[in-house]
Amino acid sequence: MASTPPAHHRTIAASQQAELVAFLQDTLGPKGVLTEKNDTARYCIDWAGTTGATPLAVARPANTEEVAAVVRYCHQAQIPIVPQGGGSGLVAGALPDAQKAELVLSLERMQRIRHLDPLNFSVSVDAGCVLQTLKDAVEAEDFTFPLALGAQGSCQIGGNIATNAGGLNVLRYGMMRALVLGIEVVLPDGRILNDMKALHKNNTGYDLKQWFIGAEGTLGIVTGAVLKLSPKPTSTRTAMMACSDVTAAMRLYAQARRSCCDLLSAFELIPRRCIELAIEASPELSDPLDTPYPVYVLMELSASGPVSLDSMIEGLFEAGLTDGLLLDGVLASSDTQANQLWMIREAMLEGQQLHGLHLRTDIGLPISALSDFHQQASAMVHAHSPESEVIAYGHVGDGNLHFNILPPPQLNEDEKAAVLHNLEMRLFALVPQFNGSISAEHGIGRLKQAPFLETLDETERQLMQQLKLLLDPDELMCPGRILPRQSQRSSDSVF
Amino acid sequence: MKVLVAVKRVIDYNVKIRVKADNSDVDLANVKMAMNPFCEIAVEEAVRLKEKGIASEIVAVSIGPKTAQEQLRTAMALGADRGILVETDEALESLAVAKLLSKVIEEEQPQLVLMGKQAIDTDNNQTTQMVSALTGFAQGAFTSGLEVADGQAKVTREIDGGLQTLNLKLPAVISADLRLNEPRYASLPNIMKAKRKPLDTKTPADFGVDVAPRLKLLKVEAPAERQAGIKVGSVDELVDKLKNEAKVIS
Repeated sequence: MASTPPAHHRTIAASQQAELVAFLQDTLGPKGVLTEKNDTARYCIDWAGTTGATPLAVARPANTEEVAAVVRYCHQAQIPIVPQGGGSGLVAGALPDAQKAELVLSLERMQRIRHLDPLNFSVSVDAGCVLQTLKDAVEAEDFTFPLALGAQGSCQIGGNIATNAGGLNVLRYGMMRALVLGIEVVLPDGRILNDMKALHKNNTGYDLKQWFIGAEGTLGIVTGAVLKLSPKPTSTRTAMMACSDVTAAMRLYAQARRSCCDLLSAFELIPRRCIELAIEASPELSDPLDTPYPVYVLMELSASGPVSLDSMIEGLFEAGLTDGLLLDGVLASSDTQANQLWMIREAMLEGQQLHGLHLRTDIGLPISALSDFHQQASAMVHAHSPESEVIAYGHVGDGNLHFNILPPPQLNEDEKAAVLHNLEMRLFALVPQFNGSISAEHGIGRLKQAPFLETLDETERQLMQQLKLLLDPDELMCPGRILPRQSQRSSDSVF
Repeated sequence: MKVLVAVKRVIDYNVKIRVKADNSDVDLANVKMAMNPFCEIAVEEAVRLKEKGIASEIVAVSIGPKTAQEQLRTAMALGADRGILVETDEALESLAVAKLLSKVIEEEQPQLVLMGKQAIDTDNNQTTQMVSALTGFAQGAFTSGLEVADGQAKVTREIDGGLQTLNLKLPAVISADLRLNEPRYASLPNIMKAKRKPLDTKTPADFGVDVAPRLKLLKVEAPAERQAGIKVGSVDELVDKLKNEAKVIS
């Protein structure tokens, strides 16, 4: 992706850009708009290191009305917008476009936690509230907001909704979609859709809010939400168990769901190589078990109320040993040790990052097909690039496998990219055979668009296009993400 | 050589401490409890001594409520051979703990007593020193390195400005500092085995020790919340605020 837009965009845009900036300064005040390259640079790179083009400006509205005012202006002036949260996306959806200069609209100043309703088990928030901030705030009131992911210290609720974020606790609490009771959205023409009802049941007509959850900002800008809370667990146990292979790990999963009163809140598959990657990235971490094993499962049970999680885990372990599903295991004896085990899960991603260019995938599978897919996909990689290394881990308790590949280290960057591209095509070709999805939680954005379009049948494609044009006929909201630009008009430069 | 290791049940290091509404004490209801982190280090050191063939038996001792059995089981899962719980619901002061430990030491006759340098609940850092005084054992507090051989313990201590090395004649009581070692995880097979290891329960009365507190806890308060900072417009305003609001200059 080019790092700067072609020169003619900037020259042609100059007068209109100046008008836009003047409007933003007038409407949002000096804090509300950034134009200097030094100031806007951080909005043009995401966690994965992908960079976007220089935006027309960065707007930082302070409330929903200001968001609506900016969107109305851009609608009238036909200026495309890309809304942005914490910048931890993995599919380049929130980065400003190079083909046609865009206005970045950051929700970062909208951080308010509006209202916590303890009896209704709900909380309403601004979209720019950082996930960790919300989690800490509700925890202080003895609740938990269960969405948990590596980026929780920087990602924002609006982004979590726009991307229908998943993470570690999906198997127990569902994805973001399951946690949203109400929503507030600024539509592409600047109207405000206010559906901030804190209702656990509401069957009145079409459920409009669902359109915007997981739409990656292409249908409107989420500015607020009412979220579902759960009681804060009073006891949590974290264990790391060792298995001989993925099949055994998946059989253990079925047993764990049944024998632990369905109190499983996380079940992560971690191959041996990931432990080594984690220690490589964070040398202060230690190998939790005495001897290496092929595959590990990091599991967490949590409950509020008087239940003995220890006896459940011990029972599961004994049964697992007897059935030959398990080889060994450790149980964290304190929250400190539990955190250390979870740090392995986080550090292994950094370790993977240290190895430079690699293929990152996010496959969704029926849980029952996960082990077979893992086997066939590994065989495919071995057959076509024996020196590439498979690193497959994931939230397998919800059928999510991050089947990642490190290319042969001796190749140069172009060769690596070519090998990975080839393997990605072959991997994605396998996915439909298992009735899987090429993106379980990361979304489509720009990076997964080509393979995504191949998975759509004609009816799906038509409906998606019609929905997009219904809400955003001028294609000004995150154009080119998820679906390619549709209209002839939008392929001409606005400026 | 027999090693005695003392373990205390405390609020988990990662729990955010809350004060009871009436300020009478720290709120312990539904709070995750764990072994004091410095005691974990002491247990780990004992287990390493056993793995090196220096220690022949490890006895874990805890003094506290019935639930402290959990921490003794953890110690046994990590490698202690048996446990002794001196059960009491009284809020014990260091001296009472030291007296009880001295009685257990008298009964068990260990060559080496290992404990944490302090417990993270009240941070007293007194028991090791008191036990040494009561038993006449040599004392090595804040140990960051330990070698045991030929009836002697070579102890490295972290002191202000550097390290001090002491040679102690056994029997000795040694308290573990943070850098002595990194404790291992309890393996599930060992957790299972620990269930079958012997655990004796005693009471302070069995040892004839009066554990009645000598101090009265009057009030517990959370630290004052830090006020948000402000930006001042000019040096004059800053000086004015330092003079008249903060009153740190005159």
